[in-house]
Amino acid sequence: MSNKYLKVTNLKKSFGGLKAVDVQSLNLNTNELTSIIGPNGAGKTTFFDLISGFQDSDEGKVYLNDKNITRSQPYSIARLGMIRTFQLTKVFDRMTVLENMMFSASTVNNDSFIRSLIRLPSQKTTEKNIKEKSFEIMKDLNIDHMANSYARELSGGQKKLLELGRSIINDPDILLLDEPLAGVNPKLAEEILQIILNLSEKGISILMVEHNIEAVMKISQRVIVLAEGMVIADDTPENVRSDEKVIEAYLGSENE
Amino acid sequence: MKITFKSSLTILITIFSIFLVFLLNDEGEIPILFNLLTFAGIYGLAAIGLNVHFGLTGLLNFGHAAFMGLGAYVTVLLIPHAAGREGVVITTGLPFFLALLIGIISAALFGLLLGLPAIRLRGDYLAIVTIAAAEIFRLLVRDLESVTGGVYGIINFSNSLQQYRSGFIDNFASANDLNPSQIWIAFLSWTSIILVLLLLRRLTNSPWGRALRAVREDEDAVRALGKNAVWLKLQSFMLGAGIAGLSGVFLAFNYGTIQVSTFVPILTFYVWAIMILGGVGSLTGPIFGSIIFWVIISETNGIAQLIFENANGQQIAGVRFVLVGLLIMLLMIFRPSGLMGKKEELLLDVK
Repeated sequence: MSNKYLKVTNLKKSFGGLKAVDVQSLNLNTNELTSIIGPNGAGKTTFFDLISGFQDSDEGKVYLNDKNITRSQPYSIARLGMIRTFQLTKVFDRMTVLENMMFSASTVNNDSFIRSLIRLPSQKTTEKNIKEKSFEIMKDLNIDHMANSYARELSGGQKKLLELGRSIINDPDILLLDEPLAGVNPKLAEEILQIILNLSEKGISILMVEHNIEAVMKISQRVIVLAEGMVIADDTPENVRSDEKVIEAYLGSENE
Repeated sequence: MKITFKSSLTILITIFSIFLVFLLNDEGEIPILFNLLTFAGIYGLAAIGLNVHFGLTGLLNFGHAAFMGLGAYVTVLLIPHAAGREGVVITTGLPFFLALLIGIISAALFGLLLGLPAIRLRGDYLAIVTIAAAEIFRLLVRDLESVTGGVYGIINFSNSLQQYRSGFIDNFASANDLNPSQIWIAFLSWTSIILVLLLLRRLTNSPWGRALRAVREDEDAVRALGKNAVWLKLQSFMLGAGIAGLSGVFLAFNYGTIQVSTFVPILTFYVWAIMILGGVGSLTGPIFGSIIFWVIISETNGIAQLIFENANGQQIAGVRFVLVGLLIMLLMIFRPSGLMGKKEELLLDVK
């Protein structure tokens, strides 16, 4: 996991006349826990969509480990080791929690039509392994007691945990978390923060969009501030907190 | 299939509807029953194919008749037949089972062809594209008279399949005063249903089936987790289309002729009604849905006679629509997930 990094150059996206994203240059370094903050409509989620392949940029390039992923499909970007989550949790409602996890852990090969038809013994072994792995992660996230419940029976916070679990089961190099704490009660938020910190310590580079400033300042090593699609600050939490431009654009208006 | 309240109730309703055939007819109950069971088998098979699309994957396909038609036309054109106004007899052809295989594969490839541009579209757009494609298919078949026989259709092809008819079918048919050709088709279509269901059960309980359900639930999440949702949807579309092609072949052989007017949109909607009645997403549901549906279709006459004395054709047709409409309304009110559908699996949104 030595030279895994994300590099963005001159990335632009507009909707009509509205400039949503206009990022000149941004590098995500290995093993860093970086947060993106900014007012609503600053282009944070669009930025995530652009780098994870869910939207096409108008201009600019995105590199993952020296590989140009600018026009790549989301699934191929994910296979390269960069996994994202969504602001509004997207769990598979009518599948069990275990199935949610196992689907994510399963490989393309294991999912193949022909293999599923023939049912080679190797598939059974793979299934057994990914089931064990799923339970391991579910235990870590404290949702293993819900393994056989439909995912839609989970609480909002548990869904966040499930989505997180699904995202880390294949040991990604880079994790893009879109508001992992949104709509989560304070106690669970603490737990999720701890989980994110643990992931970071395990060597996963994390890029996180989050509105909970206290949490962001507490755990991040680096904070990027977006406003009107542009990076207006990119520094350590302490420096960002005292940055005048940032206070004016975002923090000052914050009543928290 | 576990014996639950739901399945017991479904079986009970199915038995009751078959009992209705005996109740409403004074004579010839057995031929009537076997006629409707033949259609139930063929349409049930088509509904199982549609269920792969809609129930398992969430694909809104309103062009099922075209997949059925393509399978039927390709198969029939590859075996000895007579087509068109002149009824030109073509005596050479492939062996039936090879032609059938090509027919099924053609239907599946038609699914691929249609899916490649259309399957990225969401929900209702795919529905529009499939309706349009099915109509284009029908009009092409109608106008390509030199190949497909156009409006004159194709005849004299039944023997390719009927020559394989087993002796016990003949014995059974003659003992019960039935048409042996039809019983053979009934036998084959119900055998196919069993085989296809076994195949699907294997597939739905596999990692592939799990991936399909994930696609049905949330395509974006599937893509974000590194899985190619489009390819999974295409595979499902091809599988369901292939099953539809097989049922179309049986439909053609049951009629003994093949006509453009068979593969019209109403066929698609009958298959939809059967699938909804049986239970969206339930593997065995379409079987029961199909039997009950065909009892209603074929016994409308008797039911109309109960309501009107000496009902005429117009009244009977009216009663048929009222009954089917009533059935679907009652179903939507009391069992929106269909007879065998799981309430938890009720499909609220489509891909």
